[in-house]
Amino acid sequence: MSTDVMIYASDLTKRYGSFRALDRINFEVRRGEVVGFLGPNGAGKSTTMRILTCFISPTAGTAKVHGHDVFDEPLEVRKKVGYLPQRAPLYHDMSVWEYLRFTAEMRGLDEGTFKQRMRKIVEICGLAQVLGKDIGQLSHGYRQRVGLGQALVHDPPILILDEPTADLDPNEKAEVIRYIKEIGTERTVLLSTHNLSEVEAACARAIIVSKGRIVADGPLDEIRAKTGKVQYVITISEKEALSGHTPPSAQEAQKALRELAGVANVALATTEEKGTRTFELAADKDRDIRADLFRLAVAKGWNLLELRRDAQTLEDVFRDLTKADEVNDRRLGGKAAEAPTKAAAGMES
Amino acid sequence: MKATLTIAKREFRSYFDSPLAYVVICLSLLVLGVWVFLGPGRFWQVDRASLSAMFQAIPAGLVLLVVPVVTMRLIAEEKRSGTLEMLITLPVKDSEVILGKYLGALGLVLVLVASTALYPIVMFKWPWHLGRIDMGPVMASYLGLVLFSAAAVAVGMLISSLTESQVIAFFVTFIVLAGLYWIGDLGELVSDVAGTVLRSLSFKEHFSSFERGLIDTTDVLFFASVAALSLMFAFRALESRKWA
Repeated sequence: MSTDVMIYASDLTKRYGSFRALDRINFEVRRGEVVGFLGPNGAGKSTTMRILTCFISPTAGTAKVHGHDVFDEPLEVRKKVGYLPQRAPLYHDMSVWEYLRFTAEMRGLDEGTFKQRMRKIVEICGLAQVLGKDIGQLSHGYRQRVGLGQALVHDPPILILDEPTADLDPNEKAEVIRYIKEIGTERTVLLSTHNLSEVEAACARAIIVSKGRIVADGPLDEIRAKTGKVQYVITISEKEALSGHTPPSAQEAQKALRELAGVANVALATTEEKGTRTFELAADKDRDIRADLFRLAVAKGWNLLELRRDAQTLEDVFRDLTKADEVNDRRLGGKAAEAPTKAAAGMES
Repeated sequence: MKATLTIAKREFRSYFDSPLAYVVICLSLLVLGVWVFLGPGRFWQVDRASLSAMFQAIPAGLVLLVVPVVTMRLIAEEKRSGTLEMLITLPVKDSEVILGKYLGALGLVLVLVASTALYPIVMFKWPWHLGRIDMGPVMASYLGLVLFSAAAVAVGMLISSLTESQVIAFFVTFIVLAGLYWIGDLGELVSDVAGTVLRSLSFKEHFSSFERGLIDTTDVLFFASVAALSLMFAFRALESRKWA
């Protein structure tokens, strides 16, 4: 393990009775990385974060934070980590300033350092207006900001943030994401979220978990490219055709497209434009069939109006990788479906 | 150690940030005053300069109201609201969390106990001089009350660490402490051996010698052991979250 590895998890397992909340999770996060931790609710994100902050212990496996074992040296681990739990639970009877000072005192900061840090925190988290207010009177968004503030109070090298942007309005979200990106250059950030656009904005790498397992881990481009199928959209004219050919009927065109090698599925898309037919094709990710599509159109004499390949969005990938969770939630008495690990199997290695 | 004191300070202050501390202290003093000075057969009727009526009433008040109210939220509320996660993931040992919260709550109870000194002062020093009171039993009683509170608050803390509901914590603490207080009276009804055992568990029995001005190491050790044992179990209960 190199000294650059800030968070290290090896075969991390957590069982609650017979339920496996985490099933042998392995990953590393290096210095200067901002990693998005993605997954549906109940996939094991918070459990992982709670283990990394030594709030709970793993059933099996090891985890190290900043080189310290979470089991043997919990205090050392916690000193290095700034942690924001889900929904930012704070003492409602304290004022913002009192609360942050309490956190600073618990972390052994002296008054001078605390005041100095506060200047930065107020700026980052936008707390200037509410410092004297009781936390109980604040909106969720402001509480979330205070929660973020307490995680930053000791200027930690590692930040573990469980849904830091939940309950924030779009402006606040953008601000927090911008800041996370900024601190991510020299620090290590692990943040969980449901919001995929945030991951795309702030993180270079994502770890997707589903049912306690990692189903994808890698740079965003890689995750986008390697998973699932690629989609092609082809639009042809329904009225005109090349000379010597007749315009194809929808069925004819669909049949011809389906017969093309590598095409898995063809669907007729609804379109606003009159006199055109648009088909959406799902095809293997390993080959590019744009050339084949063009040659097919020429051979059949179709009047090709548009042809493009849609890279999968992270959202598609996410849904694709974690849909088994959702399917099970909506089926009564069904047998637990296998996690869709096929696509990700290659990526985990 | 510093973390323990920081937690204790926060806990103690939070009682005074809400109306709880003021209500508990004022109400307790009022009820105690009415009970001791207006109740039949008590202070005015004993024809002696004695506060034993008061020192018999305070422990009962502690177990029936004050300690359950003060300790019910200690851990239970933190668990329910999730702030426990925030607190424990600071660089602090579980034992420091338990000890800090315990000291904070005990601090409030002791403030209340100390405030009852108002009555002896008013009656025997200034403005009234109702006679020369024997200070021995008064001092011993206050020492006894400190130990009594230490044990009772620890029991309340333990119960609060076993549940997420303040209401459950309140009632269970109320029942357990009342049981421990009056269990000796049950001893009168049963055979010698069982009676001795029951009396030896009774908070009331162990406090009674202090009230008579007697400081017995057995009683000191009893309250100290109950406190230590309860805190240890509370620590275990808090730690058990890791393995749930």
